[in-house]
Amino acid sequence: MTKVFFIILQLILFLLAAPLLSGLISKVKNNIRMRRGQSIFQPYYNLVKLFSKEEVVSGDSSWIFKVTPFIVFSSMLTAAILIPVFIFSPMHQMGDFLSLIFIFALGRFFMALAALDTGSSFGGMGASREMFISSLVEPAFCLVVFCVFLQFGSTDIAVFSGVHPVSICSFITAIVLFMVTLAETSRIPVDNQETHLELTMVHEAMVLEYSGRSLALIEWSSYIKQMILFFLIAQIVFPVNFSGLWILWYFVWIIIIVIAVAVVEVFVAKMRLFRVADFLGFAFVLGVIAVVCAILGV
Amino acid sequence: MQAIILFGVLVLTYLMFVAKRMPVLIRSFRCQSFFLFLVTSIMAFDEHQLDLYIVAALLFVIKVLLIPYLLYRIMKKMRVSGDIGLFVNVQLSLLCALGLAYLAWIFSARLVAPSSQAQISILTIAFFAVLAGLFLMISRMSALAQIIGLLVMENGLFLLACAVSGGMPFFVEIAIFFDVFVSVVIMGFFVYRINKLFTHIDVNKLSNLKG
Repeated sequence: MTKVFFIILQLILFLLAAPLLSGLISKVKNNIRMRRGQSIFQPYYNLVKLFSKEEVVSGDSSWIFKVTPFIVFSSMLTAAILIPVFIFSPMHQMGDFLSLIFIFALGRFFMALAALDTGSSFGGMGASREMFISSLVEPAFCLVVFCVFLQFGSTDIAVFSGVHPVSICSFITAIVLFMVTLAETSRIPVDNQETHLELTMVHEAMVLEYSGRSLALIEWSSYIKQMILFFLIAQIVFPVNFSGLWILWYFVWIIIIVIAVAVVEVFVAKMRLFRVADFLGFAFVLGVIAVVCAILGV
Repeated sequence: MQAIILFGVLVLTYLMFVAKRMPVLIRSFRCQSFFLFLVTSIMAFDEHQLDLYIVAALLFVIKVLLIPYLLYRIMKKMRVSGDIGLFVNVQLSLLCALGLAYLAWIFSARLVAPSSQAQISILTIAFFAVLAGLFLMISRMSALAQIIGLLVMENGLFLLACAVSGGMPFFVEIAIFFDVFVSVVIMGFFVYRINKLFTHIDVNKLSNLKG
């Protein structure tokens, strides 16, 4: 019974705290640029605004367009209860690291379908770019999984919390996961969240047709995805063993990751689309090094 | 600690395979030398040797400060674009890098007793740096990038000497540093001349006759 309570608590945490991280990132970014910037609660205001707005749906769209926001949102919530935050293994043996990747892929697949569904030119462009990037992201992400598997003998996410000392291998894995996170959450070297310029946008082009409540759901699920990936990085670099002040450690690590993402966003220029292949190829090679380190046991 | 620094050297060597522009290449060479400096200082601290301290200081002054500065200056003076021509594109270069690292690993695993894992990894990284320098020299068109390839090879040899014997004799070390420095100056001069004669430093086009 306590387990159910903790799972519900975890869901509520992810639902409520995920937009805060985005607000925090933009605040840190603006502080680095010597600007005052928007409030860190701005994502919440945006969500409230979008929820209270009327929705416009293209007449040519099919049921896929209407159903996609819910699929994306629920897949992200499913992913959110798979990772251990409050208790050791929330969904014991039901979900592991690989299933997390495929749950992400499910959401992305429906997003691409919905972007193609309305037949607008931007949607198709965004979908094709997103698929290009995700096909490059997935090998690196899978190597992270293999690395975890080689180190701990299981791909269950709960296994690698609380058992291992910090090693070079886990450090490299965390860097690979960081690069993957930048690509997955459409952060700057790969994609730019802030612009609506048709040359640069990937994720924004896909959701261009959405408005009102559906857009709010999609935005919210992308915040949750970002938070899940941050928690995974924190888990791999600093495994918590669920005793004492582990919540505090989580907090510290998430703050560090937020600052790292903000610094990368400020100081790195956005790449051309075809340079993204080099960026993610580098992540892949780092992943191979991590696997070799896992085999060597360093 | 040393392992993390060595890992840094490895990643920076990989970074050189990804680099497409000259400033990135120079910067990663500078970082690599800085990591070598750290390795040498740690080694000197462990063994309490004055020689190694001096070698580390020389490494810092020459390879971290002077040579990158010279390369930057040559690049600015010639006003060529920072583009280093690639014979082999980035993805293929990365694959080659993986293959070279594997070869280096096999080679050093044969060389050393398999029990000493740390020794194998430091030897692997050193060999890999040598091979990477070689690869940079034969697969990049710009003459400046080829100079950097040579320097990377030299870095790898230095690391190798550190790994095998805990540093070469002091005078040999100083002589090598001086050699490298002078060779960079001379090569810089040559590149400058090539640029003046041919208005570019693309080695691929050197076979064309110019009157």
